[in-house]
Parts: sequence; structure tokens; C-alpha cells
Amino acid sequence: MFKRKSKHQPPTATYREVWANGDASFKLSFFFMGLAQLKHKQWAKGIAFLGLELAFLAWFIFSGISLLGMLSDLGTIKSKKVVFDASQGVYVTKLPDNSVVILLFGVMSVILLVTMLGLYLANLRSVRTLYVQLRDGEHVPTNREDLHSLLDSRLHATLMMIPIIGIVAFTILPTLYMISMAFTNYDGKHPIGFSWTGFKAFGNVLTGDLAGTFFPVLGWTLVWAVAATATTFFFGVLLAMLIESKGIKHKGFWRTIFVIVYAVPQFVSLLMMAQFLDLQGPLNNLLMNWHLISSPINFIGASANPMVARITVIVVNMWIGIPVSMLVSTAIIQNLPQDQIEAARMDGANALQVFRTITFPQILFVMSPALIQQFIGNINNFNVIYLLTGGYPMNNNYNGAGDTDLLVTWLYNLVFGQTQRYNASAVLGILIFILSATFSLIAYRRTNAFKEG
Amino acid sequence: MKSYHAQRRLSLGFRYLLLIFLAVLWLVPIVWIVLASFSANDTGFVSTYWPKEFTLQNYIGIFTSEQFPFVYWIRNTLMVSIISTILSTFVTICVAYTLSRLRFRLRKPFLQIALVLGMFPGFMAMIALYYILKSFNMLNLGGLILVYVGGAGLGFYIAKGFFDTIPVAIDEAAVMDGATKWQVFWHIGLPMSRPIIVYTALTAFIAPWIDFIFSGIILSASGDSKTYTIAYGLYNMLHSTRGASTTYFTQFIAGCVIIAIPITVLFVIMQKFYVNGITAGADKG
Amino acid sequence: MKSLNKVLLGSATLLAAITLAACGKSSSDSTTSDSKTVSGTVKLWVDTTKVPYYKTIVKDFNKEYPDVKVTVTQSPNGSANAKTDVGKDPSKAADVFEVANDQLGSMANQGYINPLSPAATKAVKKNNVAVASEAVTWDGKMYGYPTSQQAQTLYYNKAKLSADDVKTWAGLTAKGVVATDFTNAYNFYPVFLSAGTYLYGKNGETLKGTDANTAAGVAAMTWFAQQKSNKGVMQTSNALNQLKSGNAAATLDGPWDSANIKKILGDDFAVAPYPTINVGGKDVQMQAFLGVGCFAVNSNTATKNQKAAATLAQYVTNKKSQLVVYKHSGAIPVDKAAQASSTVASDPVAKAVITMSQEGYSTIMPKMTQMATFWNLSAPLINGAYTGSIPAAQYQAKLDTFVSAISKAN
Repeated sequence: MFKRKSKHQPPTATYREVWANGDASFKLSFFFMGLAQLKHKQWAKGIAFLGLELAFLAWFIFSGISLLGMLSDLGTIKSKKVVFDASQGVYVTKLPDNSVVILLFGVMSVILLVTMLGLYLANLRSVRTLYVQLRDGEHVPTNREDLHSLLDSRLHATLMMIPIIGIVAFTILPTLYMISMAFTNYDGKHPIGFSWTGFKAFGNVLTGDLAGTFFPVLGWTLVWAVAATATTFFFGVLLAMLIESKGIKHKGFWRTIFVIVYAVPQFVSLLMMAQFLDLQGPLNNLLMNWHLISSPINFIGASANPMVARITVIVVNMWIGIPVSMLVSTAIIQNLPQDQIEAARMDGANALQVFRTITFPQILFVMSPALIQQFIGNINNFNVIYLLTGGYPMNNNYNGAGDTDLLVTWLYNLVFGQTQRYNASAVLGILIFILSATFSLIAYRRTNAFKEG
Repeated sequence: MKSYHAQRRLSLGFRYLLLIFLAVLWLVPIVWIVLASFSANDTGFVSTYWPKEFTLQNYIGIFTSEQFPFVYWIRNTLMVSIISTILSTFVTICVAYTLSRLRFRLRKPFLQIALVLGMFPGFMAMIALYYILKSFNMLNLGGLILVYVGGAGLGFYIAKGFFDTIPVAIDEAAVMDGATKWQVFWHIGLPMSRPIIVYTALTAFIAPWIDFIFSGIILSASGDSKTYTIAYGLYNMLHSTRGASTTYFTQFIAGCVIIAIPITVLFVIMQKFYVNGITAGADKG
Repeated sequence: MKSLNKVLLGSATLLAAITLAACGKSSSDSTTSDSKTVSGTVKLWVDTTKVPYYKTIVKDFNKEYPDVKVTVTQSPNGSANAKTDVGKDPSKAADVFEVANDQLGSMANQGYINPLSPAATKAVKKNNVAVASEAVTWDGKMYGYPTSQQAQTLYYNKAKLSADDVKTWAGLTAKGVVATDFTNAYNFYPVFLSAGTYLYGKNGETLKGTDANTAAGVAAMTWFAQQKSNKGVMQTSNALNQLKSGNAAATLDGPWDSANIKKILGDDFAVAPYPTINVGGKDVQMQAFLGVGCFAVNSNTATKNQKAAATLAQYVTNKKSQLVVYKHSGAIPVDKAAQASSTVASDPVAKAVITMSQEGYSTIMPKMTQMATFWNLSAPLINGAYTGSIPAAQYQAKLDTFVSAISKAN
């Protein structure tokens, strides 16, 4: 497909050879990065390597060691002490060591350490290349060439640098931090100074006091994800075909009407939808006035029937989700090869048969990667549940969750709710991840649509 | 033949009816939200579809409220979205282009890691983000921009799908002519990707207007409502004080309608790009 | 060649890291001031809508203590969520903040707040009504300066109900409709207390002191179930709207909504203490939870500012300040003299709330850490009995589970 330049030329020298045959600067480069490059006039590279090593060492000595050291027990003082300050006549509290900060900076130090290790390996590779070039009498790139390569053969490095810094600082670091939190006793009882407790929090979720909530909520999360993905997709396709069907005029106008619903910010449309569907809300009032129902239906209230509430949530999600899948399937339908359909028509197939055997399978095929992503998205669909039902109706068998709560909204309650069970929510986060990863792995394998990536 | 025509007429009529019915069904709640924003109401709950009494007071109230400086919120959000749009689009397009058009050793691992990272729910990470920003003394709008831009590097899927559809031959021809990869990116890649740049930019622009959780965690520390963005400000309006949800509810709806209008317009403009982007991404098997 | 980009990348990360590390390590060093005069810098958190009049209170404070620099700002999510707001990052939270008394216990245990000095304790005891002092005391020490009391009362439309009608629940619901919410444990858990059970013992601090899993508790559950078929009781999430539309004639609500209800009912506005209810065959007073709003001092406040913070907390809860707050928000004062002042004494809402705050009418919300679990579990329990999703046969079993879950040490 693509012409790939082979990136890995077989190493023409072993590191042992570099060490044995290289001059002093090569030997020293194993300890002080960049010296060999400096000696051979690759100033830019050499200075960068050496400077980074010095900076790293300075950081490591002055704060890295202590940060990493504290990581082992997350701070020594675990409990507060209240003492009376007689000179001012007030009580003061001697607080425990702040484990949150210790953990965060500890994780950051580990990331730095790993980065430095990567840099060291890069240095070795660079030194070896230089060695081979010198040994074989090849051209040694000048500073100018080095820098120029950043805009050509190494353009990817230039373009990816800033994004990667962003991803490390704002995604990888927080994620690692969250994962490590699952192995501590960080909760309402230990909000400042907490310690490592291994897999205890996992035990609480899987077999302890949260297990009775976890498994039913997990079950509903899966049902919801399947139902939400399937309904919006299927009816979205139908709606698209309706609008695209022969004879309908002003197709753009019709599409826009439906897209408006999706365009309204969800915290507006869903919060208001919750009132719209309330026991005493406008919908019930309308239905009563038209004598369609005799008593109001409790769709999503805290004391609603769980089944009714769950169906309502899926229906409201259709209201929001169908327009998107309609848009997407419209584009696919427009690009469908017409000859096949015409041929089938000639053979006497009716519209339904054409749809079932040709149109729908084709759309399904094209959309399967997007569907998998939607499925994962629905497992983590925070907005619809949080804004629409807040997890209600109440369920007296659950601990801190309601009948429509998904794992992710329950997780939110555990973090920001009154019970402050941070470690349990971190465990939930990991479990949600495992769930999503497993599903997408199976799905991608099955559909084989994730070819080149 | 006549009956065939009649049948087609009938079918078309039926389809139009169905379409009108569905359109009404879809718009009923939206129209109600707009109506509710004009209703005079002091109970924190709108129970009728058609307001009993119309008023403009909600709109006047939200623009003149001292505790809830709506105009500041709009200004802040506008500022955050514009800056974050520029930066995020740049980041996303860079990543998408690199992963789609350039080949390098860590490309596959990066794609896999990006996929994996996207599957962790973000709420716990918020606590970490809070402390990271705090140590830079950036618990403000600037920090919020950083968070939005920082996440942009992982939102490359749709744009990458778009780049994947552009034939490689174009690049190769240019390289043959002696262009560097940078020149290919700058003079060929970017101009060709106008639709996807527009799409990415619009998505990035909308995000600050609808995010009330991240912004709440980062901005609430200041305690100064003039530094809030609109989504958190409006959310805070109902949740700040006991009893406030009753007093300010209709003003809240008015505020929501005001911000929903530009976003809706943007979105309607965007739908074309949205479709192109998604299908381009999905269509490449 | 490969390495230059990594070098650049790495250097940026490293720089960032060094800055981070430097910031992370620096902690506010505490220098103790010897000076006896009160000075310092203090940040005050109050609910968003209260900021304007607390600013005037602080202006008065500065007349007396010119050396204390005070910034008044709004708290992120209101005094009802002080525990989580402060917990998110105590060092960024205000030095003095408003908090409901039920959160004091866990905040004190967690170390977020400092106890009051002996002198301040004495003053609080002297100036305020006894329940207020009791409400802010945890484990023998006071942790907050009380400023207002909140007990729900009965608000009703006097065009539809007479003062006699609202004396009993039976009379009330026979003549009119009460709009209320059974999914809110704050409204209805006190029925268990009316029935004669205790929540965390008589003092509200005994871990094993909950005895809702007795015949009395079952009677309370039965009472909830009876209300489902009571035509005079309406389950709603928007009671005020029902009052306005005339579908309901009364509601159970707190003083924070009294201004709203006055607007809705106009001349027909009336307020009364809770009626009596018939639980387990006996007529008993229907109880409410008594909450006391107070100001607490953040333990993260630098030691040199502690005195100033404590002084400010004491000032914003003194008689004069309580009356200012009462004037603007209708929060019922707890200061003895303030309660006796003519404006408060003549206010029917205040009168009803003060009646409700007496023993037999209400129980102080316990301050146990376990209250978080309590709120999570009690609401579904009451709602289950009300909707009938818990059949009568299961009451005892459900109550047993409930009591054991909220009585766990951690």
C-alpha cells in the first residue's frame, strides 16, 4: 500500500563495539550524554543532550529523590493533631502530610524518570550512529542538516512535540494518578493523609459493600449501551432513508429540523427535558388534557417505576441521538452504488427486501467502526443520565446509586458526592476501562474494519 | 399505469405525513424551552406547555443581574473558545496529519495508546488536573484553555480519517519534485484539508460553551463569578444557594436559550462538514 | 538524528517538572505573631446570593478591626456542600466559610476545621439559644459559630385551610392537599423520630444508637405506605408550583423558601408548626430535622491569620449580623437577643420555626461521619415504603439492613 522506507537498518555496530573501539568521548557518552556529538561538532544535538542530563540531575538531586522517596509511603504523618495556641488564644490543627500532592508529584517524577531513560537510550542510539558513520567514513550530518531534517524526514517529530506534551501532562499523568489511587485508602476517612493498601479497594467493589450495587449497575450499563446504540442507529438509518426517498423535496430543510435538537447544548435540552417529563410537567398535562391518559405517568422521577424510567431514558436518548446517525447514514446512502439496487429491483425485489438485503448491510458495514465507538461512548454516556434523571429512580437495594445510574455516573457520585469514596471510584474507572477495552477489542477483531488504523 | 401513479402519490403523501409528524415530535420540547424562557414564573417549575403569562423580564433580568454577571460569562466563554479553537485545531490537525501521512517508528504504538487512553473515564483525572494547574497557579480561564488544548491531541480520529482519503500519490509527486515534507504539509496538505479544519475548529469552538463540569472544578476556586464561563455560570445559578433554583429558574432558561441560538446556528452550518468528516473516517476499509 | 526531537521534547517536560516540583514543595510557612492586636488577611465564603449583605457586615467589622483585610467571595457550591468544596482543596478554600451543622462532625474528624477557643465557646453559649450551641458541638468541642436555624414548617394557603385544620395531619389532608416529596429524607426521616426511635442515640453521637429497626420503625414505614392512598397527599418535586396553581393547599418547606412562598400565596400566606400525626396508633407531634447554619474556621489558615479568622467568624454571627442576614434572606436568628427583637418576634415564619426548634418538635441533625451513608440509604427506604416497592412483610428486614449499614465504624 504505502511505500515504507525501512526505518530499522540492521545495527552495523554493537554497543559493545562502540564502547571498545570508540574514543574517550564515546566512552564518556555512556555517562554524560552528548559528549561524543559535541566532540564531532554536532553542537545542537550535543548541547541539548548534555543540557538535559544536567538539568535532570539537578532536579533529581534537589527534589526528585525526595519526591520519589515520599511516594513509597505517601507521607509519614497520617493523622491530624489539634493543639491550643496559647499566644493567640485559638486552636490550631497540625495537618497530616498531603498525600494527594505527594502521589501526584510522585507519579510525575516516575514519568520524568522514564522519559529520561528514553532519552538515554536515544542518546546511545545517536552515539552509535555517529560511531558507524565515522568508522565507515560516511558523511556526518552537520548541525544545519540536523535542524533541517526536522522539517523533512523528521517532520513527524516537529509536529507531534507540542501535542505529546499536552497529552502527557493532561491525560497520561492524570490517568496514571487515577490508577494508582485505586490502590490506596483515599476516602472520606483518609481525605488528606492516606496510604497504599493494595487491592483492598477492589475487594470492596467486587465483593464488599459495593458489590450489591456494582453488578446490577454493570448489567444495566451494558443493556443501556446496546439499546442506546442500536436504537439510534437503526432509526437513524430509517429516518435518513425517509428523507432521501424519491419525491421528498427540501431535503436539507428536513434534516436541519432534526439536527436542531442535537445542536442545543445538552445541559440545556436534557435538564429541561427532565422537567418536561416530570410527574406534573407539561407532557403529562398535555396528555391529560387530550384525555390520552387518566392519571399522570411518572416517567423519570425519583419514585418512578424502574422499567418505565429506563425505557424513557432510552427514548429520550433516541430523540437526541437519531439526528446524528441520520446525518451520517444520509451521506452513506448518497454514496451507495445504485446498480446493485437497480438490479435487485429488476429481479422484482420490493423496497423492504432491497433495504434488508442491500442497503442496510452496506450501511452497517461502512458504519461498524463508528458504531463500536458509539457503543463505548454510550457506556460512558454521563450527560444523558446525569442531566436527565440524576440516576433516579431510587433503588433501596443499591448503595448510593439509582436504577438508571450507569457505572460512570455512579463513579461521579462516589467522587463528588457526600460519601467521598475516591479509591472506590478509581477502581470503577479501571473496571470501566477494562470493560470498554475488552468490548472494542472483540468488536474490532470481529468486524475486521480496523485494518490499517 | 394510473393506479401506479395513484399509489405513488399515496405513498408520497404518507411519507410526508410521517415526516411532518416526526418533525413535530422532535421540535415540541425545543419550542417549549423557548416558550418557557418567556414565561412569568416564580415557582422554579414550568408545568404547562403554553405559558400562562408572557414576559421579557427573564431576559432583562439575566442581563442586569449583579450576582450573575451574564455578560462577563459570555465574554469569558468567547475568549476561551476563540483561543482554544485556534490552538486545538492546530494541535489536532498536526497530530491527524502526522499519523495519517507520515510514517515513523512510534506511529502504531501511539495509535494504540491513544485508543486506550480514550477509554478511561475522566472524572478522577479532574482532581489531578486541578492540582497540576494549581501548581502553575493557573486555576483560571488560562488553565481552562490549557485543559481543552491538552486534550485536543487525542481527538484526531475524524481528521485522520479525512487525511487518509487523500491519495498519497499527490505527496509523492511533490517529494519527487524536491519538496520537503514540511512544504508538502504546508502547501498541499493544509489547503486540501479546509473542510476538516472548519469542522475541527467548530467542534473546538463549541466545547467551552457546553462544558460545565471541568470549568466548574477549575474556575470555582476563585470565588469570583465574573471569571466563570457561561455553562458553569448558568449551572451555578441554580445550585449556589438553597432556594435559588426557584428564584432564578426562568432567568436560567432565558440564558440557556441565548447561548443555544449561536451554537445551533453554528451546528447547522457545520452539519455538512460533520458528515463529510465522519464518513470519510469510516468509509475507508 | 532521532534524538533531537526527544531532546527538545524532554527539555520542555523537564522544565515543566522543575517548576511543578518547586511549587509542590513550597508550603506556607507559619510565623506566629506575638502581637495581641488582631490583624491578618482573611477570605470569607458565603452563598452566592448572600454576598452583597455580607459585604456590608464586613464593612462594619472593619470599623472595629481595621487591620484585618477581608475578602468576601461566593463559595463554589453553597453552604450545603461546604464539606466537599473545602475537601477538594482545603488550602484554596476560604479561611472562614458557611456550613450546615450536620457536616461539622466529619469535617472535624477529617481535620478541615478548628475548634473554637474556650473564650469563644463561652460567648457562643451565652449569646445563643441552647439548641444552637448544642448543634455546633461535636465530641465535646464547639466547631462552628451558629448564625441561623432551619427547621421545616408547614406553609399553607389560609383561604383553603384554617388554623385548626393544620393542627393534625388527618385534618390537614382531609380538607386540602399537601404537596410534598417522599424521595427527600430530610422531609420524612423525622417521622421515625416522631414514632419514638433515635438516630445515633439521644445525643446524636452514638454510633450504635440508631433503633429504627424496631416496632416503632415499622410503624413509621407503615405510615409512609398509608400516605400513598391518602388523597390529601401529593407526591411532587415542585411543591411551590402546585401551591401556585392551586392543586395543593400546603407544603412542608424550610425558611429558605419562605420569601418565594410569600410571593406565590400573597395574602393567603400562612405558616404553622408541623401538625401531629398518627403513627402506630398514637397521636404524636410530627418532627423535623433541625439544622443550624454556622461559620467555621479552616484549619489550613496560616497560624498568623487564625486569630483574625476566628474574630471575623464571631463577628459575622453576632446579634447585629444575624439581624442583617435575617432582614435580607429570612434566615431565622439563633441569638437570644436577636430572637427577642421586635421584627423577629412578630414574624409568623420566625415564630413557627422557633417553635419547631424546641424539643419534641425537632431533632438536631446528627453530625456523624456516617450521615453521608445515612442520606444515601434513608431516602430510597422511605420512598420504597411510600411507593409500595417494599412490601410490608419486608419492612423489618429492610430496616435491619439499613441500621447495620449506617452503624458501621468506617
